[in-house]
Amino acid sequence: MSFAPQALFTNRWLPILLVAPMALLIVIFFYVPIFQAFYWSFFLERPFGGGSLFVGWANFARVLSDPKFWESLQKTLIFMVVGSSLAVLIPLILAVAADRQIRLSYPARNVLVWPKAVAGASIGVVFAFIFNPFVGILAPLNQMFPGLWNPGIDGGDAFVMLIAAHVWGGIPFNFVILLAGLQSIPRTLHQAGAMDGAGPWRRIFDVQLPLVMPQVFLTLVLEFTESVTSAFALVDTMTQGGPGGATSLLVYKIYVDGFNGYDLSGAATQTAALMVFVIILTAGQFVFLGRRINYER
Amino acid sequence: MVENARSLNIVAGLILIVGMVYILGPLYLTLTTATQSYEFVLRGGLAWYPGDQFFNNAMRIFTETRIPIQMLNSGIVAFGDALATCVLSFLSAYVLVFFRIRWAGFAFAAILATIMLPLDIRVITTYQVASNVLSPINALFDVTGLNGLIANAFGAPVRLEWSVLNTHLGLIAPLVAHGTGTFLFRQFFRTLPADLVKAARMDGAGALRFLVDILLPLSRSNFAALFVLTFLGGWTQYLWPLVASSTPNMQTAVVGLARLLPDSDGAVPDFPMIMAGAIVVSSVPLLMIALLQRYLVRGLVLSEK
Repeated sequence: MSFAPQALFTNRWLPILLVAPMALLIVIFFYVPIFQAFYWSFFLERPFGGGSLFVGWANFARVLSDPKFWESLQKTLIFMVVGSSLAVLIPLILAVAADRQIRLSYPARNVLVWPKAVAGASIGVVFAFIFNPFVGILAPLNQMFPGLWNPGIDGGDAFVMLIAAHVWGGIPFNFVILLAGLQSIPRTLHQAGAMDGAGPWRRIFDVQLPLVMPQVFLTLVLEFTESVTSAFALVDTMTQGGPGGATSLLVYKIYVDGFNGYDLSGAATQTAALMVFVIILTAGQFVFLGRRINYER
Repeated sequence: MVENARSLNIVAGLILIVGMVYILGPLYLTLTTATQSYEFVLRGGLAWYPGDQFFNNAMRIFTETRIPIQMLNSGIVAFGDALATCVLSFLSAYVLVFFRIRWAGFAFAAILATIMLPLDIRVITTYQVASNVLSPINALFDVTGLNGLIANAFGAPVRLEWSVLNTHLGLIAPLVAHGTGTFLFRQFFRTLPADLVKAARMDGAGALRFLVDILLPLSRSNFAALFVLTFLGGWTQYLWPLVASSTPNMQTAVVGLARLLPDSDGAVPDFPMIMAGAIVVSSVPLLMIALLQRYLVRGLVLSEK
């Protein structure tokens, strides 16, 4: 929908003037960095200043032939798929429960939004303590079965810890969106379903879930990009990429390579690769999932 | 509810209880640990009940760490981010919806694209741009050959320098370069009746008068929603403030909190003090959520539409 022409203002300079500040910020801090990441991936940069040398595809050849890069990309993909599926599925179950309008719904709706106030890095600090193998929640188990749980040594444990923290932080947004979606389903549809003999369990699967699919799809798409970035704060505070690179997700590896290793060309090349990766995944979601979503009510 | 479904309600209640325990458990343990002494944690591990050391631990956060000044930084960054995002998004959405311009579709797509590639992904090159914000102009001069002419005439090419690293401006500006706010206001403006503009014009209101006297009052609750959402986002940022601030006095509180964790494994860190820090650092956004929950939920729902 857009307004009829007579409902619009005409002015030559005013719109440009008003949109300019936002446009300028976005060009400088969004488009220039993206352009530069691709530009640098064809040059050998000296760390922070100094000249640069055109090297063609050499950076890509170097990065793509590094097994550490592929390992990191694979870890990123696993984290994205597992982390974001759980971060949508768990809020979805909670939202369906809260939509029943029982007495607990009201406190739950309030409490489930609280993690929004806790920064990813703070979540990491807290979960690092709770899952600490010596003093944390699993320490008694560790005393009974030594070596059962140690995210400082076992890469799998460290990964589980990351996902638990990621899902915790992802609940508020997804819960609010999914609950709003469920609540916008017309009451008459529930009644019609009941008239046709569908019980309450049946109606969850045949009425509610199909109708909330647009919201599920949206949260999934947003959660995918979100999980790439929320991972950094968690990895940096909980595992520092360890043990032995088991949790070295790409966004963390880029930071380490660029700011600690001063390998700017390598970091820029990996940034470019990560961007292409994210864009392909998002496009893929739209092609494979988006088309099956029915927006009709 | 359509009919009385007892079994389902019980299951739903159980699910909600589990969900709330999952959310509250870590928060509760944070709180109880923050009230214990370091020796207690070393001896007994997790603290399931509160002790009496919270004041002590909190005092140490305020006297031994830089978190107080870093809280101030967080406040400035979050407030600046929220204010700038609200104002600039409002203006750009206004232009996109209420003006007859040919480039509206293109501009909207260009702004919206920012949602797909978050700051954390492009942090390396954003850092580089922030270290000299004017470098695109230098590059433009180089590419167009203008710099060659200038070098011939004046002996040296133009090299402009302006680093925003380690300044509040530098911490805020890249966070504002984001399309969610514009999207939110645009969706809202499009639900307004077209007659509103027609009536305003008939009464002789120009574009700016319409903006200030009609659109601004109507958007009040959207402003509040976006402000709360962006403020929380600014307060909880981690990677950008981590790289863009080089001195502890310029870091934000979340970065400062993460620095309290010792880097090496081995010794058990002083968890009570760190947990007290986590509470202090999260108190401002938690208070905000408690007081302004209505707007936060509204903002989250709006940013989806």
